[in-house]
Amino acid sequence: MEQLILDLKQQIIEVLNLEDVKPEDIDENASLFGEGLGLDSIDALELIVLMEKNYGIKLRDPSQGKQIFTSVKTMAEYVAANRTK
Amino acid sequence: MGVFIQSSAQISIQEPLCNNYVTKPVLHDEPYVRAIECDYKAFIDPISARRMGKILKRAIAVSVTALKASNVTMPDAVITGTGLGCIENTEKFLSAMTMEGEEFLQPAFFINSTHNTISSQVAIYLKCHGYNNTYSHRGISFESALMDAFMQFETGSAASALVGGDDEMTPGYFALLDKLNYWKKSAGGPGAMAGETAVAFVLSNEVSPVELSGVEILFKPTADEMNRRLTAMCERRGISIGDIDAIFVGRSGDVDGDRIYDAFCGKFFPDREQFTWKKLFGESFTSPAMGMYVADELLRSDRKPLLKHVLVYNHFQNKDHSLILLSKC
Amino acid sequence: MKICVTGIGIISALGRGREATYASLLSEKSNIAPLRHFKTIHSDLLSAEVRETNEELIALMGGDIKEPTTRTSLLGMVALDQAYKEAEIEENRPESIAFISGTTVGGMDKSEQYYRDFLDNNSRNEYIATHDCGTCSEMTAERYGKFDIMTTISTACSSAANAVILGANLLKTGRVKMAIVGGSECITKFHLNGFNTLRILDKEPCRPFDATRAGLNLGEGAAYLVLESEESALERGVVPQCILAGYANACDAHHQTASSDDGDGAYRAMNGALCSASLRPADIDYINAHGTGTVNNDLSEGIAISRLFAGHIPQVSSTKAFTGHTTSASGSVEAVISILAIEHNFLPVNLRFKERIEGLSFSPVTNAHQKVAINNVMTNSFGFGGNDSSLIFSRYKKG
Repeated sequence: MEQLILDLKQQIIEVLNLEDVKPEDIDENASLFGEGLGLDSIDALELIVLMEKNYGIKLRDPSQGKQIFTSVKTMAEYVAANRTK
Repeated sequence: MGVFIQSSAQISIQEPLCNNYVTKPVLHDEPYVRAIECDYKAFIDPISARRMGKILKRAIAVSVTALKASNVTMPDAVITGTGLGCIENTEKFLSAMTMEGEEFLQPAFFINSTHNTISSQVAIYLKCHGYNNTYSHRGISFESALMDAFMQFETGSAASALVGGDDEMTPGYFALLDKLNYWKKSAGGPGAMAGETAVAFVLSNEVSPVELSGVEILFKPTADEMNRRLTAMCERRGISIGDIDAIFVGRSGDVDGDRIYDAFCGKFFPDREQFTWKKLFGESFTSPAMGMYVADELLRSDRKPLLKHVLVYNHFQNKDHSLILLSKC
Repeated sequence: MKICVTGIGIISALGRGREATYASLLSEKSNIAPLRHFKTIHSDLLSAEVRETNEELIALMGGDIKEPTTRTSLLGMVALDQAYKEAEIEENRPESIAFISGTTVGGMDKSEQYYRDFLDNNSRNEYIATHDCGTCSEMTAERYGKFDIMTTISTACSSAANAVILGANLLKTGRVKMAIVGGSECITKFHLNGFNTLRILDKEPCRPFDATRAGLNLGEGAAYLVLESEESALERGVVPQCILAGYANACDAHHQTASSDDGDGAYRAMNGALCSASLRPADIDYINAHGTGTVNNDLSEGIAISRLFAGHIPQVSSTKAFTGHTTSASGSVEAVISILAIEHNFLPVNLRFKERIEGLSFSPVTNAHQKVAINNVMTNSFGFGGNDSSLIFSRYKKG
């Protein structure tokens, strides 16, 4: 899980082009949207593509993303439980 | 009615956000030169900038800089000209789609590929709800935006406007246009040097040292039509062609293109002083914005005190032509 | 200055020309179908394509159109040809004409087809030059002779509406005697995929203003209007079809793709158009809404309409359930539909509407056969970046 969390942090930084943010700057329990990292609905769509491309997880309904992307931790748990690659 | 240039700012292949090109120009001669960037963190926080390509960051930096240097805090209109739009993001999306397939495409590249992302991001940044428009027509994209702004003043719809000319040139797109012989093949050889342009002007109806006296765009004009439109533009300002003291011509080094400038100057302004700007700033679809920038700076300076009316003339492939008339107040 | 419309031309999934368009709207028949004209892994997605292939469009134009050409410019030519003939420009050419076109994809149909070729093969390089928006406008219009002013607006889905506004300003400031304005856009793999990544394409035929709406279907087409002053029209002996009574553009300045919750930009554009036309909300008989069918747009636009027209909500419909979302062309495609509504005193229905959106105070038009007097029509076009434009067309009365 530790490694998956680190991988996800790196992938998030890369795909969302978060300049100057390092993996250790992201608290895996902090919220990704709103107050925390300040991500928005377009970022959520990017994260859906990330999960599909890197882990073979297809989200049929984008609104599911809300719970899954609460934090890096919740995202990692979802990936661990549902990954197909 | 008068339209006056309050302030301007540029990011190009010269030093950014300043006029150092006048005394300490950065000399280039290679076929392709990228813009010199400024520190964008002074303008946009990294989270807001995360999806912005170079063209967007530059457009915001020049817009904010120009607004700060003026009395205008919230313009009535935001109008942009861009020949290629956000080509960096367009290329990323297009290349991923054609090379890797349609499966894992990233929405941010698409969103920021649209031409009017520039005007809208500037408006979102400023929270400006006024008139917002974007022109994308080859070498007259900026002049179309300028003409629209001019008419916003003429019709009384706006008392101030932020007008921009923005084009980025990616290595990929440079190479494609190179296949069409847009650019010089080697340093020192004939042909145009590709540059990048981001210029913003703040216009308002408050008197300032330089007036935007007229702007015209023409499509494939004959010599007679050019004469008629040029004469009419001067007459609307209450002057004649003979009152124009100097010409800023869009000479780029492209042999065929430069012949058109020779013919124009020979016919209308055989004995007038000529200035150029593309040797310093390179060629781009919105390079005429840089021409207007340089002309405005010279009129404000005391280096040529006798200049009163100057004309910026540019053409694109001898199809799309433009005239911008500036007057010292 | 009274700005008159003296010619219209249109091509869309509804067919070619004003008669086919009117007949299709009256028949209430859906034109939304699976994609046919290009290959994509999303071939299950529905769209409203123009029936004709590029070869058929070239044949329609007399067959003498040489490569390179793009679908956007071919669609543009077909629409421009009709408008040009209706306004009798050939017979009686005014002293100066502007051509203002809106497009965003420009020559992307060929760029995406030949992009690999551009990089490796060099056999299709002539299409590098047709990529940009301006080239498409020039290819559309060049065969119609001399244009004094030619430019291209690219504000995504409000492009053609903004072209109408620019044309009106060119006339008002005396720059030209006539302005041919509108837009053209073909469906490309590029924006099909783009909209798909935003998850705003409905897999079913779209249902604008319906509680169950789930996105838009892409359409394609082109439409142009010929604008001139009443004086010019009468001088040339051409009967005005209607007048462009008012217009406005405003920016929502909220988000790059989403509309604000209260439809601020939409409200400002519609209100601005009313002011510019010197009309009150109660004067508007029909609104041809932007109504894309996305969850966000229809709610936001509906709220803006409810606020501005409180107590006097006119008949409202989105015709995108017929035409699909013709993106950059939608402003002029829907302007033509609005003009037909005035001409025939008819209300285009909002196809597939069943259930009102919670929180909205109105339902769209469902009966196309009502006898109504339509004198003033508002048509909305909203683009990415909150670029919101509203046009008002009114019945022409001499003098």
